[in-house]
Amino acid sequence: MALLVLTNVSKNFGGLQVVSRASLEVPEGSLTGLVGPNGSGKSTLFHLIFGLVRPDGGSIVFRGRPLQGLAPHAVYGQGLAFAFQLPRLFFRLSVLDNLLFAARQQAGETMARALFSRRWWQRQEEALAEKAFAVMELLGLTRMALEPAAKLSGGQRKLLEIGRALMADPVLMLLDEPAAGVNPVLARQIYETLDRLRRRGLTLFVIEHRLEVLFDFADRIYLMDAGRIVLSGRPQEVLADPLFYDTYVGAVTVNDTA
Amino acid sequence: MDPVIYVLDTFVFVGIFALLSLSLNLEYGLTGLGNFGKVAFFMAGAYTWTLLSRAGVPFLGCLAGAALMAGVLGGLVTFPALRLREDYLAIVTLSFGEIMRLIVKAEKGLAGGVWGITVPSAFAGLAATPRLVAGANLLAVCATVALVFAFLQLLAHSPYGRVLRGIREDDVAAAAVGKNVVLYKAQVLVLGSAIAGVAGGLFAQYVRFIDPYMFLPTVTFFVWIMLIVGGPGNNWGALLGALVVELMNRGTRIAKDYLQLAVDPNNMQFIMFGLLIILILFYRPEGLLREGPVKTAARGKVSRWLSSS
Repeated sequence: MALLVLTNVSKNFGGLQVVSRASLEVPEGSLTGLVGPNGSGKSTLFHLIFGLVRPDGGSIVFRGRPLQGLAPHAVYGQGLAFAFQLPRLFFRLSVLDNLLFAARQQAGETMARALFSRRWWQRQEEALAEKAFAVMELLGLTRMALEPAAKLSGGQRKLLEIGRALMADPVLMLLDEPAAGVNPVLARQIYETLDRLRRRGLTLFVIEHRLEVLFDFADRIYLMDAGRIVLSGRPQEVLADPLFYDTYVGAVTVNDTA
Repeated sequence: MDPVIYVLDTFVFVGIFALLSLSLNLEYGLTGLGNFGKVAFFMAGAYTWTLLSRAGVPFLGCLAGAALMAGVLGGLVTFPALRLREDYLAIVTLSFGEIMRLIVKAEKGLAGGVWGITVPSAFAGLAATPRLVAGANLLAVCATVALVFAFLQLLAHSPYGRVLRGIREDDVAAAAVGKNVVLYKAQVLVLGSAIAGVAGGLFAQYVRFIDPYMFLPTVTFFVWIMLIVGGPGNNWGALLGALVVELMNRGTRIAKDYLQLAVDPNNMQFIMFGLLIILILFYRPEGLLREGPVKTAARGKVSRWLSSS
């Protein structure tokens, strides 16, 4: 049963067809990968799903409910979480606060309760602190817990961005290149972590250029080119398809040497 | 002038400006909203208070009316601008302040127009002893500042305050992790404007006469200087900034009677404030008092774990 179903989703930026009638399905409990050359519309497709950009047409359905037209915070409310490709952290807030920020249903988030239900939300804060601590341990950020996020290195920022999505306890997590810019060992560790979460019931939809890691963990791969979904299948099927090399792997090699 | 009254008067003004800089701290310091129309809501409060008290409404009624009017205006004016980029909020609020001032100035029937309007004293019973009147005003202002400060301090160090700071840092990211950014911004601007309205009401009641020329955009900039000097993001900083800048303002006004300067002493004062801002931004951009972390039970708990491991 597919958790997320996109049907003929399109987006045009000032005459440029960035996403063109894209249809795909993310099955429940899967780790689904989205690959394709730079500029093929992958990130835009994620932004469309999350309500950061409004689609021109098509439908986005999550657990049988339409997502299109919802604001990002409402999409989040449906049980999705999103980790940006370039970490968009709250840089002057501590690592801990960055994580706590993302937790759902905090009593102290409304003005009235922040003022008058202090006991309630302080208890919640203590419980959330434990959860945040576990996430920091998982990502190796514990030492930096009380430091502002601005002090983190590039790789650590990437991890915190993922950690923030983890704090949200989502049903479906959209990750835009979680392993970009981190060392190979850590990249594999990130995917091992994600895989563990998946076995606990989380569904993942991931954009990734580090194919060697992605293909080890993904159940299903979609290949995007010039705004279209051109190929889909299990990793082995995609790897065996010449189109995959024509549109993507060849292009990557050219980019790398340029 | 009676020196005792002069001192009391100074601190009444410190208090009124402290309310304004606290409200700007909520909007700009915590939430990152550049409100350049602070004076508009200050003025709305002042005129609302004046009209209500002339109609015989008691002290607290006037106070509530001033807050309500300024808060409603704050919501109406800023809500359309919230969905636009941040700089539009600055443009909209700045022009709104001037528009409102010009309307009040032109509409003679509303509140005296350009001639201004007198405000009945809330402490008429003490009128025989001016020192007591000034003292009563200082007490009222201090009590209001204390209440507003406590209120804002509780908000700043709660999950609510954390959301505001996150919105300041990156409002797209805040929306992507589930916060209704527009709603928060609207709440902050309504609340900030209401506090500015309270400050305006207390001001009108104290000076006993207001006219449109008291509400020039310089008032807004003065509040900005206070917050930038004191430390945006820190409520104590907002208080300190109001104190430091208002004392400098008074001190230089006294000093100019005793000094022979090559430039007009009034211009000298402006030059000095300009210099102060430049020095602060260069050498202490975080202001006199740093922002500091959000203090909730979570922070205490994690720092205990860190120190024990």
